[in-house]
Amino acid sequence: MATHDEIEIEVLRYHPETDSEPSYRTYRVPFAHETSVLQGLQYIKDRLDGSLTFRWSCRMAICGSCGMMINGVPNLTCSAFLREYHPGKLRIEPLAHLPIERDLAVDQTDFLEKLASIQPYIIPAESKAVDEGPFTQTPAQRERFYQYSECINCLLCYAACPQYGLDSGFLGPAALALLHRYNSDSRDVGKADRMPIVNAQEGVWACTLVGYCSEVCPKGVDPASAVNRNKVISTLDYFFRFMAPRGASE
Amino acid sequence: MAVRRPYVRPMAGWWRRNPFYIFYMLREATSVFVALYALQLLYGLYTLAVGEAAFDAWLVSLRHPLFLVFHGVALAAALLHAFTWFNVAPKAMPVLYLGSHRVADRTLVWAQYLIFAVISVAILGVVLGG
Amino acid sequence: MQIVQTDVVIVGGGGAGLRAAIAVAEADPDLNVSLISKVVPMRSHTVAAEGGSAGVVQTEDSLDSHFYDTVAGGDWLCEQPVVDYFVANCTREMVQLEHWGCPWSRKDDGDINVRNFGGMSTARTWFAADKSGFHILHTLFQTSLKYASVHRFDEFFCLDLIVVDGRCQGIVAIEVATGEFFRFEARAVIFATGGAGRVYPCNTNAGISTGDGMGIAFRHGVALRDMEFVQYHPTALPGSGLLMTEGCRGEGGYLVNKDGYRYLQDYGLGPVDPSPRPKAMELGPRDKVSQAFWHEDRQGRTLETPLGTAVHLDLRHLGRAKLLERLPMICEMAETFLGIDPAEAPIPVRPAVHYTMGGIWTDGDTATNLPGLFAAGECSSVGIHGANRLGSNSLAEIVVFGKVAGEQAARAARAAPAIDARATTHEAEASMQSALALLGQDGDQRLADLRDTMQTAMENGVGIYRSAEGMQTACQTLEKVRNDYSRVRLDDKSRAFNTEWLTVIELGFTLDVARAMAYSALQRTESRGAHQRLDGYEKRDDEHFLKHSLAYAVADAPPRIDYEGVVITKLPPAERVYGGMARQEGH
Ligand SMILES: Cc1cc2nc3c(=O)[nH]c(=O)nc-3n(C[C@H](O)[C@H](O)[C@H](O)COP(=O)(O)OP(=O)(O)OC[C@H]3O[C@@H](n4cnc5c(N)ncnc54)[C@H](O)[C@@H]3O)c2cc1C
Ligand code: SF4
Ligand code: FES
Repeated sequence: MATHDEIEIEVLRYHPETDSEPSYRTYRVPFAHETSVLQGLQYIKDRLDGSLTFRWSCRMAICGSCGMMINGVPNLTCSAFLREYHPGKLRIEPLAHLPIERDLAVDQTDFLEKLASIQPYIIPAESKAVDEGPFTQTPAQRERFYQYSECINCLLCYAACPQYGLDSGFLGPAALALLHRYNSDSRDVGKADRMPIVNAQEGVWACTLVGYCSEVCPKGVDPASAVNRNKVISTLDYFFRFMAPRGASE
Repeated sequence: MAVRRPYVRPMAGWWRRNPFYIFYMLREATSVFVALYALQLLYGLYTLAVGEAAFDAWLVSLRHPLFLVFHGVALAAALLHAFTWFNVAPKAMPVLYLGSHRVADRTLVWAQYLIFAVISVAILGVVLGG
Repeated sequence: MQIVQTDVVIVGGGGAGLRAAIAVAEADPDLNVSLISKVVPMRSHTVAAEGGSAGVVQTEDSLDSHFYDTVAGGDWLCEQPVVDYFVANCTREMVQLEHWGCPWSRKDDGDINVRNFGGMSTARTWFAADKSGFHILHTLFQTSLKYASVHRFDEFFCLDLIVVDGRCQGIVAIEVATGEFFRFEARAVIFATGGAGRVYPCNTNAGISTGDGMGIAFRHGVALRDMEFVQYHPTALPGSGLLMTEGCRGEGGYLVNKDGYRYLQDYGLGPVDPSPRPKAMELGPRDKVSQAFWHEDRQGRTLETPLGTAVHLDLRHLGRAKLLERLPMICEMAETFLGIDPAEAPIPVRPAVHYTMGGIWTDGDTATNLPGLFAAGECSSVGIHGANRLGSNSLAEIVVFGKVAGEQAARAARAAPAIDARATTHEAEASMQSALALLGQDGDQRLADLRDTMQTAMENGVGIYRSAEGMQTACQTLEKVRNDYSRVRLDDKSRAFNTEWLTVIELGFTLDVARAMAYSALQRTESRGAHQRLDGYEKRDDEHFLKHSLAYAVADAPPRIDYEGVVITKLPPAERVYGGMARQEGH
């Protein structure tokens, strides 16, 4: 690493075995043009303080491990660069609105349970044997859901959503985006099964359209659009059930 | 035996933490002015039903500097309200296609301004012309 | 220590592990499956695969052709009956993924689209834009949530196998969040722990690709096969090693040296065509393309960049529209990491370590030579890659053999004898104590220094081109690192989420893998596929080395290297031919 400059990184630390609440520690880190924020943290861990705890893996913004708050903004640390913050300093905190497991690592279990609850898999009209070959799906049909399938589960959108912070019962942006992904897939007929989740109080109606989730999403998923399109869908669903109370939507 | 002890951070004052949130709160606050303006308009309608004198008194009261200020603020709030909702409207609409091309969110936002402008000019035409 | 009683333990939540879990659940829903992974499954390294996965679909294509490409690509070190099974099942598995929702890219009529890939004689690589591994992994993960018998243990670190009476009866794991030890008692265990790119300093792999499963199995006397064959991918970013998929060249990208010259024509890969010709030029196999870079570099025809020499991957002539449709992630990465728009400027690239062809020895049914232990995916050597893997064969491998492993483990679990609880407790206690000792030990060595020394030694001595002298030096350094390992001092002595502790355990595994690689390489006195020598052994030597190497652990000594014959059924060894003379599709 061709080193040019040094930058100050302030990190929020919390150890569940010894700390009653989190506190900040500051490190000085040398960096070059191409040094990512993640590499800055790795430098601290390798050279200054091996006890600093954070998650990372792919280094290429696709595994979704390394999301943190950089100066108050949710971001993937592997694709943000120290030079962007120089000569100022960085304050790195674990993703907001999620419980801190240790230091910069948050507890992801709530999201994983929510993901499981939306039936995130194809529910086909009738089972098709593998020998019958693939389903036909035109590029236009694929386009209808593809953007929502690009979610890397990084949870930046949860850190962006104050409604989730205030009430973690809310299903939240990414889970709803993935729900919408399956409902919009031409191979899937599971929408009726998923509508009760959309309609529930913890579903789309907990959203007040702050819109920050889509702003911070690193993959252009635009979860806010999935949530708010489903408000329209939920209203129609309610209306049709109201019109035909014994309707087939159960 | 080791146990997990996740730390949950407090949410107090959350909306001050990020300019995006402050703007969101501002957007929500605009609804107060829009509501007050509507009430005031309703009152005008009411005076119309009561009689000419009451209506004229209402018209005069509208010229009071305090009311002028209020109208200025309400107009600004309404414009901000419209601006923010125009921006998010594409997120609530089903995706539109022209042929096989998806209509971009940005195009939809501009289309709303266009419609807004056309209607405003039409109303202005009616008011000034009529 | 906590105890979990289960039927099948699967270590690894990547493509291979998830496919195996689903296969067990479908084979017998009454079997309890414990899926253990040190990261939440969708963070596994499969997520990073870009280009795509092989499976014969086009009418002019044939299984024989895929077979031929794979065996020739592997320089004849492939188990031919296993390759036969593999090519016959790839397409099935791709269709299965499609039924589960994988958003494969399509043709206009809604059919599956395929692209060209290096070393393949026709287009047969299924792709989902340039996020194929990402979509495969998320599809498998989300589908796995359907099966009630699959119990996930996310962020559990597998420390050791429990072997009693010559039979694998479970594993010991650490719950990352708490540092608590868990003993999993199981009647069958599948390792699907992925590759070991982290043996080298500059690699395309994720941080988790530390070869844990290989290291653990090796310590229990399981053979590591063909470890000297380490694939360098020719197009990674200098410094970081981040990958620019071979799909770039499959779509028609050029590799040019500092003079703007498509240099691969000088290395037997010509003729130069404007558009991609299978198996020629940029679509040559990875070993040859990476080796060509080495020669260009030696002759001073590469470009200087701040992070090392490079050649240019030129995509400009493909046009922005095609780049955004077929290679959106490449565009995004070039922009983020280099500030380059590939439609406007060429991308500097150089070879980086990418794939471990070798791994845990298994038979064609994924069984290792330790009863009760199965292995699948990149951690295994089932025999299809030989001395050089073809791009897009390994995503296919993880699902084809992941499924086999699941089915075989289910069968083994039903047939296995009862577990000897007292003996497993004893074994597990011993592994726990040695892990705790690492945590407590005092010394003067820093973890990062040992890691760096190991990686540099491997790059210098066991790189693209090798010589006895270089490899010997590497071996000596590795032995020294191994000695110093017992003097690593950790900053963090606590238990909860202690990633420093887990990293030092990983380094122990990686170091064993590195040693298996270096010693296997040293003893192979020929050049074949990814193992190229410069010291008088420049030729392939079928008479002595048409053999797999087998590395076995020896207590307090270098690994013992054995050899095993290659099963050849239909295609006798011949010269590998690429470029204009190569066999194309339909033979
Ligand atoms: C950048 C890149 C691009 C690639 N592109 C392609 C491509 O286009 N086509 C192709 O065919 N191949 C490609 N490959 C290769 C292919 O992606 C991998 O070989 C394949 O994904 C490996 O899958 P796996 O399931 O074996 O392992 P992985 O996906 O690596 O999963 C390993 C799993 O094991 C777990 N694990 C490991 N150790 C432990 C432990 N000690 N305790 C608990 N859990 C553990 C991990 O948590 C993880 O879940 C690419 C590879 C890279 C690096
Ligand atoms: S929607 Fe975007 S921000 Fe939210 S988890 Fe998915 S990729 Fe991350
Ligand atoms: S390390 Fe994988 S997303 Fe950053």
